[in-house]
Amino acid sequence: MSLNRQWLARIGAAVFAVFLLYPFTALFAHIGPWQWTDDIRSPALASVRVSLLLTSLAMVVIVALGTPVALYITRCTTRERLVWQAVLLVPILLPPLALGILLTLAFGPFTSLGTWLEHYGVVMTNSATAFVVTQVYVGMGYYVLGAVAALDAVPVILQKQAALLGLTPAKVFLRVTLPLARLGLAVALTIAWVRAIGEFGAVVVTAYYPSGMPVQLWVNLQSFGLPAVMPLLIVFLAVALPLPWLVHVLAQRHRHA
Amino acid sequence: MLKAHIIKTRREFTVNVTLQLAQGSSLGLFGASGTGKSTVLACLAGIEEPDGGQVDLNGDRFFPPSLPLHRRSVGYLTQEPGLFPHLRVSENICFGIPRNGIHNPEQVRWIETLRDRLKLSPLWNAHASHISGGQARRVALARMLARKPRLVLLDEPFAGLDRDLVRELIDDLIDWSRALGFSMIAVDHQAEVLLRLCPCRVVVLEKGEIVQSGSWSELYNSPATPLLRSLLSPL
Repeated sequence: MSLNRQWLARIGAAVFAVFLLYPFTALFAHIGPWQWTDDIRSPALASVRVSLLLTSLAMVVIVALGTPVALYITRCTTRERLVWQAVLLVPILLPPLALGILLTLAFGPFTSLGTWLEHYGVVMTNSATAFVVTQVYVGMGYYVLGAVAALDAVPVILQKQAALLGLTPAKVFLRVTLPLARLGLAVALTIAWVRAIGEFGAVVVTAYYPSGMPVQLWVNLQSFGLPAVMPLLIVFLAVALPLPWLVHVLAQRHRHA
Repeated sequence: MLKAHIIKTRREFTVNVTLQLAQGSSLGLFGASGTGKSTVLACLAGIEEPDGGQVDLNGDRFFPPSLPLHRRSVGYLTQEPGLFPHLRVSENICFGIPRNGIHNPEQVRWIETLRDRLKLSPLWNAHASHISGGQARRVALARMLARKPRLVLLDEPFAGLDRDLVRELIDDLIDWSRALGFSMIAVDHQAEVLLRLCPCRVVVLEKGEIVQSGSWSELYNSPATPLLRSLLSPL
């Protein structure tokens, strides 16, 4: 490629990057002084706590349940794998609002499971449990599909060599598969994290309370207008984006190393 | 004693091979590329599962049913060294040694012997992903022998290495097979490598079937097929 063409391509890419990052200029928009009064701050900080704590809990559940499933899928025949992948795509492709309504109905008092759960004191609407369960449904598909790709990238022969060297399957996973797949698994988890912590459509139906950051942003927007949204929006961006962004950058660097 | 009857269907042909090997002895599997030699080794190691037959080593049933790989005590070395790239050379070599045995004086001496004979001292703390192909083969050999396997399977492990190194590695392997008493089956399509590694007995495969077996002199004096004659003839 000649120098001129290379520069032209670079400028084109830069214009594209500006287009992608343009929405962030809204942080400097003239919308009047930002509001951070007590009646806005307290629920906003509570929503930060709820989002961080319950999304972390949801991630623990996703990793604990999703990793063995991903490992199983990597060892399936191609035909069975297609079935599992189709199943995992369902919650991903479902419109979030529809997922929220389905979850409310499926775990609510209208089904045997919902009644049974309620009998044992597990409330599946407007509760921390409902919040976590919704986030698990929202993020699980992303994590498992990403984890399958990460585990697939570990050469099977290395795992078999480790077994021939006397390691049980569990030890092979811990000492070979997991270390070699860890970056890919981390990337899959961050995608699930970003997707879950930012979820609004499903969570607003299943868990309006306790309000996480997306729901609180919407409440602030409805009740006080844009100036009351901006401080929480900054906090939201600060807690939700840097870690996943860093993991992705590290993964890319590792891939090109 | 290894007793193996392996049936494995390939796209072009079915591998159907019967082998017997006394403990401590060696056997060469010879033949052109794509005749099923590697399949036989992979089935013996358990890397691939046979479609039929039976495999026993010293009374332990390997197949059927398929014995888990970690219970086989088999060393398997291929052209691809298969080192664990996230570990150092030393960690690769000690990988298969149980934690409670790593400080055993006899075990330590054995690892030091491997390290010194295979000239691995300068590489000891290097990352496995940072060493050359030839060095990686030496590390893979040390890793395989560190656990003192009962059966060693070699699938063209020296292909692409320079002749001096191949000669050294073969001599080391022969010495260790005598010292440790392991059986050895090697696959190669270069007769001179196999002749040096397994001088007593050779089995020739064509399209998954044994077409000749016996001593190397029988093979050279009366090759059973035109393809074998051509494989044994000088370039």
